[in-house]
Amino acid sequence: MTLILKQLFALLRLLNSDTGTNQIAAGVACGLILGFAPMLSLQGLLVFLCMFLFRIQIGAALTSAAFFAMVAWLFDPVSHALGASILETESLQPLFTTMYNLPLVPLTHFYNSVVMGAGVLSLVLAPLVFFGSKRLIVAYRVKVVARFKSSPFWKLWSGTSFFKWYSTYDKLRG
Amino acid sequence: MTSSVDKSQTGQKPVKKQGAIRVEAVVPMLIVVGLIVLYFSLFFDAHLRRGLEFGATQANGAEVNIGTLQTSVFNASMLIGDVQMTDPLQPHRNRVQIGEVRFGMLWDALLRGKVMIDEATVADVQIDTPRKRAGKVLPPPAPQSGPSASDRMMAKMKEAFSGNVVGDLAAIAAGANPAEQLQQIGGDLKSDAYMADLQKSMDETEQQWKARMAALPRGEDFSALRTRLANVQLKDFKDLQQVQASVKELQAIRDEFEAKSKPIAEAGSSLSGDLKGLQTSFSGLDDVVREDVRGLQARMKLPSLDAGNLSQALFGMDVLNKLQQARGYMDQARQYMPAKSKQATKPAPRNIHKGRDYAFGHPKGYPAFWLRRAIVTSTLPGGKGLSGEIRDAATDQALVGRPMIATLKGDFPQQGVAGIKAELVVDHTKPEPLERMELSVARYGVAGRSLVSSPNVTLGFAQATAAAGFTAELRGEQVAIQASNQFRDVAFETTAQSPVVREMMNASLSGLKTVSMDARVSGTWGDLDWDLSTNLGDALARGMKRYLQEKMDAARKRIQAQVDQRIAAQRQKLTARRGELESRLKSALADKQAQVDKLRNDLETARRDLEQRKNAATDEQKQKLKQEANKLLDKWRR
Repeated sequence: MTLILKQLFALLRLLNSDTGTNQIAAGVACGLILGFAPMLSLQGLLVFLCMFLFRIQIGAALTSAAFFAMVAWLFDPVSHALGASILETESLQPLFTTMYNLPLVPLTHFYNSVVMGAGVLSLVLAPLVFFGSKRLIVAYRVKVVARFKSSPFWKLWSGTSFFKWYSTYDKLRG
Repeated sequence: MTSSVDKSQTGQKPVKKQGAIRVEAVVPMLIVVGLIVLYFSLFFDAHLRRGLEFGATQANGAEVNIGTLQTSVFNASMLIGDVQMTDPLQPHRNRVQIGEVRFGMLWDALLRGKVMIDEATVADVQIDTPRKRAGKVLPPPAPQSGPSASDRMMAKMKEAFSGNVVGDLAAIAAGANPAEQLQQIGGDLKSDAYMADLQKSMDETEQQWKARMAALPRGEDFSALRTRLANVQLKDFKDLQQVQASVKELQAIRDEFEAKSKPIAEAGSSLSGDLKGLQTSFSGLDDVVREDVRGLQARMKLPSLDAGNLSQALFGMDVLNKLQQARGYMDQARQYMPAKSKQATKPAPRNIHKGRDYAFGHPKGYPAFWLRRAIVTSTLPGGKGLSGEIRDAATDQALVGRPMIATLKGDFPQQGVAGIKAELVVDHTKPEPLERMELSVARYGVAGRSLVSSPNVTLGFAQATAAAGFTAELRGEQVAIQASNQFRDVAFETTAQSPVVREMMNASLSGLKTVSMDARVSGTWGDLDWDLSTNLGDALARGMKRYLQEKMDAARKRIQAQVDQRIAAQRQKLTARRGELESRLKSALADKQAQVDKLRNDLETARRDLEQRKNAATDEQKQKLKQEANKLLDKWRR
């Protein structure tokens, strides 16, 4: 829980700073794939590994995974229809037969209509979500953070001794 | 250095350049891996045991407990100990208790997401063992979309077999006169409703015929035609034109007559049909009265003394329970080992969020689950015990290419069961699923088994030695089941408050040492044909007839008389009205028909008369022309 909270605070700090746009956007895109994939699956494990190994904002990934899991649940009928049509495509049958009988690959549950449909949807949407969230983060920083920092409330708040003390603590803590 | 000084002067933190790879995550990852290993070492077995218990409970319909469970990740093996499956019908007892189940899975298959067990051992199998505490029984699952045809069939059978026929007969023997309870028949007789319908139907028929009669040609219409016919010239023709004019007028009158008489002819045949329909409806009243009498007999608990009826009351529920069990196992087999369907369009999944799994297996591939062989043993002191095997239990039999075959033979001496022979074949390799089971038990003890339990009489086996045979073949929707039981050295246990009933039961059962029961069920699940017979039913029917036939006949007659009396007045009224309506309509139509017939005769006479005149006039003309021609020829010859 502490780890998750820490990641969430890091996300907020990163969102309000001028750096880390790609990390957050990559986190949101990973969250999309995680949210659309079954909880216990090989692809989920791979995304988790990527999140750990590469500098992807984990807080953003977990938050968006929770959000996209709900979206995926709503889209299940669409995913089922899409997945069923892909899995029933005659020309892909040899490929699926090979994949089905390969080691490890069946652990992705690709042969399930909802998993296949949601997987394809998430892969198609991931680049769009990556670039879209990058733009949104930039827009947020310009339109929300900058305006907030120039508001009288922030000026008043940043002038308080508590804020100064916290800033000093934050700097020292690194 | 300068830049860092600058930054510290401006109050900004120095930004540390970080690479794309999170090197510092190695330690947390190792910790996570360690935690996973720890979980599998300490908690996984317990969690898996609970998961298996939950799943098995759902499948069994009653609590299933697993004593111990040990897994080995490296060997991919599992050891399950002390499995107790509660009997849903007797929650204090286990249906099956298994000492130990041991098996290893192939890593090759596990890596492909499949479970492949080459050989399993199921040891120390016992049946009907006591439990320390009663197992929880699950409520029956709610139907997905209303009861199916087979559910309705089962419910109908249950209703038919659950009546206490012997108890009702005993009550009559004890002195109750069911017909006396029939002091005042309620207002819900079917005959009443039927007669109300008849009344309504006659009202409607009368109204329809009233309108139809009014629309039919009246006497004036035919009088006008008769006047026109009288004015047609039928003699003293001066030339052929006059004859032709008369013929034309006669034809016009005839056409008009045909147009007017046709509805009368149609009404005649239609009236015959309607009156026949009314007659049929009146005959139907007798059937409804009979149904009412039967219903009242049932309500007054006046059962039939038929041997078949008694046999069903004694053993029907037993056979029905066996049938329901067979259907339950069949449903599970077809759910978990679906036959390869020829259907091009697959049905939508039950839960859209779970989707549908597709199988892309090839001939040498693994199905999702495949138990190639399981050895079942239960060795007891003295060399007795149980042995058997299960072969090819697979989720995709078409892929495996072999049906599942399970065989079992042996004894359960602790339960007093000997000579068990069982073979189960589940063949789902073809599009039409087939399940076949043959089971025979050479000997088992029966003690304190109740057959009839009512306030007036109880009947059961105090002690008996039984043998049983059961054969079932379920192919697609077709059902063919045969069950037989033989109870030898039977000691009956019967109690009755009334001395007459006691005497009747003793007389019926006297000398009966062996009871046999044969049942046959065939047809489809939605329409089953039953045949159940037992010599106990025959004996009871024979014995009871001596005491009850007279009373029953009197009661039946009394019920019949009361129903007849109840409907007599209304029935008489309706019959009289029907007669009156019939004669009125027939008479009105007969008048019109008489007018039509008379006019038709007149027209026919006039037509014949005119025909003769016309022929005569034509002959006269021909003669005249011939004479003139002869004259001309004579003149020319000269």
